[in-house]
Amino acid sequence: MAVELYYFQPLGTNSGRVFLTLLEKGVAFTERELKGAEFEHLKPEYLAVNPRGQIPALVHDGRVFTEGTAICEYIDEAFEGPALRPLDPAERFSMRRWCRFIDSDVGRCLMMIHWNRIVPAFVGARSRGEVEAIIARVPDADRRRAWRSAYLRETPPEELAESQRRIAAASRRIESALSRSPWIAGSRYSLADIDLLNFYAFIARWSPEVVNASATPRTLDWIGRMEERPAVREMRARTRMPRPQS
Amino acid sequence: MLELYHWEPNGASARVLISLEEKQLPYTSRYVDVLAFEQLRAEFLALSETGELPVLVREGAVFTEASLICEYLEEAFPGIELMPRDPRGRWQVRVWQKLVDEGFAASVSELAWHAHGARALAAYGADELAARIERIPSKERRDVWKTAAAGIGAEQLARARSRIESAVARIETDLAPGGWLAGSSYSLADIAVFSYFNYLPALCADLVSTGRTPHAVAWLRAVASRPAVRAALARGRARDPFALAAPGPEQIRWG
Repeated sequence: MAVELYYFQPLGTNSGRVFLTLLEKGVAFTERELKGAEFEHLKPEYLAVNPRGQIPALVHDGRVFTEGTAICEYIDEAFEGPALRPLDPAERFSMRRWCRFIDSDVGRCLMMIHWNRIVPAFVGARSRGEVEAIIARVPDADRRRAWRSAYLRETPPEELAESQRRIAAASRRIESALSRSPWIAGSRYSLADIDLLNFYAFIARWSPEVVNASATPRTLDWIGRMEERPAVREMRARTRMPRPQS
Repeated sequence: MLELYHWEPNGASARVLISLEEKQLPYTSRYVDVLAFEQLRAEFLALSETGELPVLVREGAVFTEASLICEYLEEAFPGIELMPRDPRGRWQVRVWQKLVDEGFAASVSELAWHAHGARALAAYGADELAARIERIPSKERRDVWKTAAAGIGAEQLARARSRIESAVARIETDLAPGGWLAGSSYSLADIAVFSYFNYLPALCADLVSTGRTPHAVAWLRAVASRPAVRAALARGRARDPFALAAPGPEQIRWG
């Protein structure tokens, strides 16, 4: 019954949400950290596990599972442990709607802004040719395009501005939901809260103009409650900055 | 009581119509003429602030987004099953739904709009069309309609075709002869992909054909011949709902 997780440090976004789901469910697993800065996820050893080169990937009894949201629902279905999804179909619909909003809509806006901030530094002292060669190995065309756009600083300012606008609108929607219920999708903790922590909560640090005590008090309260959860504390304890390049 | 607000039985509307018919659930069909902007009527916007279709209403509770509506129906009405019981099979269905929702649906919609859409909006003068589009409450949807009204550019079309080509290759590879997309039974995965794939033999005859994609063509015929699928495709006003298109979901903004 072996479970392995291929993922990136530091824990957050897609890697973080699957890691946290495993912890919340109480699943024992082996960590297989890949060094993103060395593009280990594009090397043959990993492509043999997941030909699409995407992270994270869960391996359960030799079978590979990809795509964050689908992995998390699989974890909740395949393993014993606390229910991470409401039992009621209508509440479960609401949870899924939030999951989709957080990782597809908000998440992509945040990734656009974040990558444009960090990718030029992330690629380090590599030459243009080296970087282009690395980008060329990314199997997914949309991902390649995003990489190149961030690296060459070609993302149009109006696209970045639109992403900022959507994040601001989302922050109001999230604050409003957390004013009505203790957890993002309703009265129970769910995969939607796990998504929100991993895709959005850091915005309190990066964009205090969006998430702060006067504009979004309920969101900050929710973040506080999340950080107190034993599984979240464990995830934080097992989070580390990537090891330096060898 | 179930009410489904939908447009022609193609794309997202087809997905839910087919699911309802396959599960033999009684429902009231509420046709919304998207190209006449009926989705901007106040009573409909009260249900769906983005004006997107389809929308399922059950005793006052509102459900949007085809993948989510279909999973809701699966869980709320256990009778005829459209998802495997094993977690691995269910994971496969969700991965296919994600493929459709993130890129495939948008790309097929762009090509379909390019082929059929200009004709659809020809009855509107430029000013009247702009005025209608301005009434769409969601900026994201306004932007999609503005792009559609202006005509989808060559670069965007090329990108859409490229995405479709990748998806078709994946579908052809994953479909064993006589098989289904997720596991050994027909499922929501087949319904999701079919609802867009059914545009392709006419739109992209060079990508989808008996010679080039024999598994996919056989699968397409198998799905299309199902009684529930035929019933669903007859729920619109057009003789062939796949000869029509409306602006689809937004394309991926960041990979």
